Amino acid sequence: MFLPADKSDEVDLKKTYDAIVVGSGAGGGMAAHVLTSHGMQVLLLEAGKRLNINKELRSMEWPYDHPRRGDMPPDSHGLSGNEYTIRQPPYAQGSSYKHVYSYIEAGSGSDYAKDIVVDEKDHPYTGTQYAWVRARCLGGKTNIWGRLALRLSDYDFKAASRDGYGEDWPISYADISPYYDKVDLYLGISGHKENLPYLPDSLFQRAVRLTPAEVQLRESLKKMDRVLTPYRAGVTTDGLKHNKYRVHCYGRGACDRRPGGCDIHAAFDSPTGLIYPALDTGNLTLRTNATVNEVTVDKNTGKASGVSFIDTGTGKTYTAKGRTVLLAASTLESARLMLLSKSNLYPNGIGNSSGHVGHNFCEHLMGPGVNGLVKDLVGKPRTLDDGRPGSFYLPRFRNLADRSAKFIRGYGFEGDSGTAMFPDNAYSTPGFGSAYKKTVRDYAGAFIGMGGFGEVLARFDNYVELDPEIKDHWGIPVLRFHIKFGDNEKKMAADMADSAREMFEAAGIEVLGVNREILTEGYSIHELGTSRMGTDPKKSVVNQFQQSHDVKNLLVVDGSTHVSASCQNPTWTIMALCWRSCDHLAEELKKGNV
Amino acid sequence: MAFEINRRDLIRIGAGAVLTAPAVLAAAETPKFFTPAEFALLDELTEIIIPSDGHSPGSRAAQVSAYIDKSVAEAFEDKERDDWRNGLKLVDELSNKMHGHPFMEASPDERAAVLTRMAKNEMKPKSPEEIFFGELKRATAHAYYTSKIGIHQEIEYKGNVMLQEFVGYEVK
Repeated sequence: MFLPADKSDEVDLKKTYDAIVVGSGAGGGMAAHVLTSHGMQVLLLEAGKRLNINKELRSMEWPYDHPRRGDMPPDSHGLSGNEYTIRQPPYAQGSSYKHVYSYIEAGSGSDYAKDIVVDEKDHPYTGTQYAWVRARCLGGKTNIWGRLALRLSDYDFKAASRDGYGEDWPISYADISPYYDKVDLYLGISGHKENLPYLPDSLFQRAVRLTPAEVQLRESLKKMDRVLTPYRAGVTTDGLKHNKYRVHCYGRGACDRRPGGCDIHAAFDSPTGLIYPALDTGNLTLRTNATVNEVTVDKNTGKASGVSFIDTGTGKTYTAKGRTVLLAASTLESARLMLLSKSNLYPNGIGNSSGHVGHNFCEHLMGPGVNGLVKDLVGKPRTLDDGRPGSFYLPRFRNLADRSAKFIRGYGFEGDSGTAMFPDNAYSTPGFGSAYKKTVRDYAGAFIGMGGFGEVLARFDNYVELDPEIKDHWGIPVLRFHIKFGDNEKKMAADMADSAREMFEAAGIEVLGVNREILTEGYSIHELGTSRMGTDPKKSVVNQFQQSHDVKNLLVVDGSTHVSASCQNPTWTIMALCWRSCDHLAEELKKGNV
Repeated sequence: MAFEINRRDLIRIGAGAVLTAPAVLAAAETPKFFTPAEFALLDELTEIIIPSDGHSPGSRAAQVSAYIDKSVAEAFEDKERDDWRNGLKLVDELSNKMHGHPFMEASPDERAAVLTRMAKNEMKPKSPEEIFFGELKRATAHAYYTSKIGIHQEIEYKGNVMLQEFVGYEVK
């Protein structure tokens, strides 16, 4: 791979950058790309390390070539799903393990992302139970994301008008659609056109193919006016001529064996997709190991003047100057940073005159789903089923034309079928000996399963705030959570389980198990909404261009600004919104309006 | 760049393709944690759980016991080591009770009978030996199906190769 020199540039503390971008994930990477392409001088600050991601992920490594078959070293511990439900945060408190990681590190195949996600010992949080996965390194969670890349529609942007709950977004699909197109073309996306008004198509590259079990389910769903579509992956399957850091997917299939991660960068990640090309313009200064702990303010103008940041290695604090500041530290970290930025002018934190920063939290609920068996496939010759960046997606069908009496909004399913490298039925098949071995072998390719992702309603009462006592490793106050699923989520989850069973049965798939339990808050890693967009400065934090209502040269360009969660995965929308806002910011700067 | 990957790939495929590696007896190596007697018992138990058959070699050839020994030796919690040692003792105690001699002195049928007893309540294990069977089987399955033999010969996994085109049915 043509990696740029592995160094972190020195920040020129005397210079006033055109823009300081905080965070280097989907939002921060996109901001760096768009602003540098407008010729602006940009400083990008990332709290974590700059890893050689190719060495970290090693997606083609066979399990037997790894000393622990993919498991972490014995002194490290990955929190299990169960621990989030029986214990209270901070989850590493009292642990004798040297390192404690979030749930994506639990179980097998987990050694590959341990340097990407944070160690809970250094990064505690308090309050209600929450499975908070954070990736502090260049590119953040885009290094290990699940790659499902979906558009939102006016069913989402105007959901409040449809069912009376919450707020509409200040934009409609027509406003963002051209920017979805730009993201599709610049980064590459795989999928199949379905012409669904509630799940608009992207400008797709080559789609993945389906297994026999998936074709069987797709055909059956047609009779119910529902759709199973090949996984819409934020992966370039045909290649990108304009990007020398990425190659097209060649179906090694490692993406589903481990917590995400594509070391050939066919799957989008922020460093190779956005940041390295931005560095090549000569307009970007990148500083890693820089934890921003305050947005500084010019007392005379009330505008943001830059940021102060702590070198994570030395602990020294520096101040960098910028004409504009863009926050993209992740939904929860950006809220934390705004709340930390208290001053005489902004006693509740910068951009928080509404009191809405940290509030209106929303995300996706996970857990309910179904597992089944396609009997005709038992004992059939082995086929290659996992050589693809994803299997299938089953889009929302509730509360579109009709209205459920039980709950509002919708949910979709992600699913998978066929043979994988490891036969999971080795653990669930009873017995031992030759008969056991043969059963595992004969059934390994005959299973199909899917799990739901449902919209969690944005509620003012679901919020985060600064903990008055607990601080992280660098002495920065941590977040205290007040986030709980409500009645709508519980009713939706029950319907997810019921409908999943119903669809499998209708397709002639033998149902082996239905999961009805909701996983702990946070499990979807789709946290959204803590600085929502809106037209009313009393009820929202930023405008439609993600500009703070209070501080015109402060933008928030990550998932915080989403007004509602929809049930679609948010990454593509984060990047489309950010692109639109940065184009607008560049225009406004030219006009002298910021 | 594509060439770089192709080349690295070919080397890997070459390495992975040596499937006829001689089935070195794991017992020939000195165990890191278990005593030689414990290790011989563990090795036999894993082979009974996933035996060699007409389709592919079993746990012994895949050196499952050596992998378990290494994992237990470096486990973070002492409890894990104690549980394994005690679990193996339970197997001999059960064999003594059922057949009047330790497991390794029992006939093949008697050994199978001991394991059948241990696996009786597999889905809801209650007694210590039933719980140990669950641990033993899980560890055996994990080590076997992540081994070269497990992946390539037993499951005949076709993936982790370069594809010109995705496999499966194209949606029209």
